[in-house]
Amino acid sequence: MNSVGEGCTELKREYDQCFNRWFAEKFLKGDRSADPCSELFLKYHTCVQKAIKEKDIPVEGVEFMGPNREKADS
Amino acid sequence: KELWTLILYHHPWETVTKAAMQKYPNPMNPSVFGVDVLDRNVDRQGRLHSKRLLSTEWGLPSIVRSIIGNTRTCTYIQEHSVVDPKEKTFELQSTNITFTNMVSVDERLVYRPHPEDPEKTMLTQEAIISVKGVSLSSYLEGLMASTISSNAGKGREAMEWVIRRLNTEIEELAITARGTLRTPMAAAVTEK
Repeated sequence: MNSVGEGCTELKREYDQCFNRWFAEKFLKGDRSADPCSELFLKYHTCVQKAIKEKDIPVEGVEFMGPNREKADS
Repeated sequence: KELWTLILYHHPWETVTKAAMQKYPNPMNPSVFGVDVLDRNVDRQGRLHSKRLLSTEWGLPSIVRSIIGNTRTCTYIQEHSVVDPKEKTFELQSTNITFTNMVSVDERLVYRPHPEDPEKTMLTQEAIISVKGVSLSSYLEGLMASTISSNAGKGREAMEWVIRRLNTEIEELAITARGTLRTPMAAAVTEK
């Protein structure tokens, strides 16, 4: 699957692979350890945010909280 | 216009959730050409929140294209999902963020285990469509509703396709792992 930013697809694939493995083998099995994908996500995220700005896509209210930061319940 | 769908999968909730998280690409949804994670975090109750952007080439019927013009048919959808591994729910909500002055498609999907059979999963899917300010609005809503409802059937095929693909990958990994284990073990035995 591609990214909206053509140059971000490779970074996206690396992050997805890391996330999907953690999601299936840890998260869904009740393991509470944080995912090891933060660095990969940061690189990918930077690229995507740039593409979104360039393409003027009206994304709503997204602040980068990061995969390990806790968010207050909404 | 509101649409409700209920689909039953003959797979446990974890399998369906893994597949739903990796739903694209699949041959039944060729209009989705990009999926990006905008943000992701685990909340204090251990639930995983994800915000994603879906890039689609919405296959509008030609009558609609002739009204709004052929140029920009890329539609962007923003999706917020929550996976609760304790309660075993996977809930997704999405809405279009482009063409909002013309049409609004809001979808809500919830995957949870069948209450009596843990080997099965239920998906309830709700869609609310409204077409704005055009005199053909109820005709167009009907058209979109029937597309979304036939897509719900395709959605089931899409998920089954992803589940089969994931199972094949697991088998291939197991075969590779067995192969790589054999050589060092054989070497260790002959050294003695």
